[in-house]
Amino acid sequence: MSDASLPSPKPENTPGRTRPHWVDRFLGGWEVYRKNTIGRIGMALLVLFGLMAATSFIPQWVDPMYHPMTGVDPHISHSTGPSLRHWLGTDFIGRDIFSQLLAGARIAFMVGISSALISILFGTTIGMVAGYAGKRTDLILMRLADMIMVMPTLLVVLILSALFGQLNIWVIVLMIALFRWPGVARVIRSQTLSLRHRPFIEAARVTGASHLRIIFRHILPNVMPLALLYMTFRVTSAIIIEAALAFLGFGDPGTVSWGMMLQWVWKTGHMFQAPYWMLPPGICISLITMAFYMTGRAMDDVLDPRLREEETTP
Amino acid sequence: MGLKRFVLRRLVEIAVIFFVIMTVLFVLFRLAPGDPVSRMVDPSMTPEDARLLMESMGLDQPLWTQYLYYLKNVATGNMGISFHYGEPVIDILMNRLPNTILLFTTSIILSALLGVFLGKIAAWKRGQRTDTLMTIGALFCHTLFLPWLALMMIWFFAYRIGWFPITGMVSPDVWIDPGAGFAARTLDVLHHMALPLMTLILIHFGSYLLVMRSSMLDTLKDDYIITARAKGLDEKTIRDHHAAPNAALPVVTSVGLSLAFSINGGALTETVFTWPGIGRELVFSVSHSDYPLAQAAFLIIAIVVLVANLVVDVLYAYLDPRIRY
Repeated sequence: MSDASLPSPKPENTPGRTRPHWVDRFLGGWEVYRKNTIGRIGMALLVLFGLMAATSFIPQWVDPMYHPMTGVDPHISHSTGPSLRHWLGTDFIGRDIFSQLLAGARIAFMVGISSALISILFGTTIGMVAGYAGKRTDLILMRLADMIMVMPTLLVVLILSALFGQLNIWVIVLMIALFRWPGVARVIRSQTLSLRHRPFIEAARVTGASHLRIIFRHILPNVMPLALLYMTFRVTSAIIIEAALAFLGFGDPGTVSWGMMLQWVWKTGHMFQAPYWMLPPGICISLITMAFYMTGRAMDDVLDPRLREEETTP
Repeated sequence: MGLKRFVLRRLVEIAVIFFVIMTVLFVLFRLAPGDPVSRMVDPSMTPEDARLLMESMGLDQPLWTQYLYYLKNVATGNMGISFHYGEPVIDILMNRLPNTILLFTTSIILSALLGVFLGKIAAWKRGQRTDTLMTIGALFCHTLFLPWLALMMIWFFAYRIGWFPITGMVSPDVWIDPGAGFAARTLDVLHHMALPLMTLILIHFGSYLLVMRSSMLDTLKDDYIITARAKGLDEKTIRDHHAAPNAALPVVTSVGLSLAFSINGGALTETVFTWPGIGRELVFSVSHSDYPLAQAAFLIIAIVVLVANLVVDVLYAYLDPRIRY
């Protein structure tokens, strides 16, 4: 589902001339990344969650009673512990917890990645424009960023759901993205500021390149690695905000997310009786956040040689 | 002198930002589908009361006049009557505000102190097992899902071993009893506060630890540390009196940057532990469609965030004599 909707992360590097440079850079980065223990653990966890998401359609295909949302075991009408029939037990109306957990992985990836992509798109564009244009444009955009940055995203989305009723999962994704770009924009802006007076930008300007061309053709490839790094951090915050929203009871009622599962445990008062139900979604949310965070930190090491040295010299 | 001007300038900025937030909120409340009157006037009121309230809020006037009424009402603290409590919204929230500030400030200060303390040690022992354990522990705690951690804390500390009360902020019997002195009541609040506070500290100290660690590593490379070593000062003095104070400055910045995150966490914690604060009131009002309460709670939280940001900035200027505005 989510994979089909993902735009290519680097649409600007299609011309053949720059591609080898990019591949080199990527492979070189990968070499460094592979040596990083934290990065390896993070990547392994992500692969695990990816497998969970990829296999999430299997249970309901085996037997409709394993459908995470609508499938109810006809013989069970209350929460039961783990058994052969239900590996992680059932929830309060007899739905299978394991298949809900798998479906939750899919939602987490979908929410995290799409929301991060949108906020990176906004953040990078706004950051580059602010840094490149300078003067009043810069001032206005950065003031706007400051203003949005101080607002607690979760509570803002909460207020919006009070006004507009139950929000659709894609509206939630968009809301999170709209309130999470300022941090990215700030970083990209300062990077752009340092690039703006480099000789190759001056050269492009002298040869008559338009502002748009300079921004997207010359500045973008240079800020792209940083933007990708920030994307991993945005993924974590998007997953957490969606989970918290669902936990408070304002998630999309048509989806089974891990936050939603925790809400069911909490609201039906099973938190003391059903550890088999409360532990898995919480562990999953925490671990996937950690996995993306670790990946991000390892990427940070790849991008910043200064940190790499500090890590290796004792 | 410089500081005074800086604070004044920031106060003006805060006023402008707050004005924008207020306006956006007004527009949203009018834009949202449905009838704006039903959103501000309790459906269960008598027609006479409802008419009086509508007049006081200008809901029978054109939009522009409504906006002016709205500004005047916010400025004078008249933000409507809660549907659920049937009391003026501002009274309810002013009653909750101290509870939120108590939990929020204590948790931020304690987690920053803990982060600075542990981060200092981690950086000092860089590359050793202590460092690795601390870094991984910090990363782990920092990425725990807060509501889940809160539930686990309740399950373990309040339900399984029963050290702390499960919910609330006070035990009624202590507060009804006229014989209970100030000390007994304070202890009672602290007893209730322990679990939410521990939850918040566990979630927050990790990022401060990581910031402190990397900033301390930078500081240790500075010339004046080498000078201190050359003078023959003992290691502990160098660590605690020469390196740590300077290295702690970025932690202050990081506290400022994570304020919004902390407010989110505060609201979640208050909700799970039924701590009677503004965040819980906001969540409650949203799930009960108590619009006047939701709007006011949001505005007050916005003020809290903005003021907290200012406090962090001033603190930074105070701590770092190089910063002069």
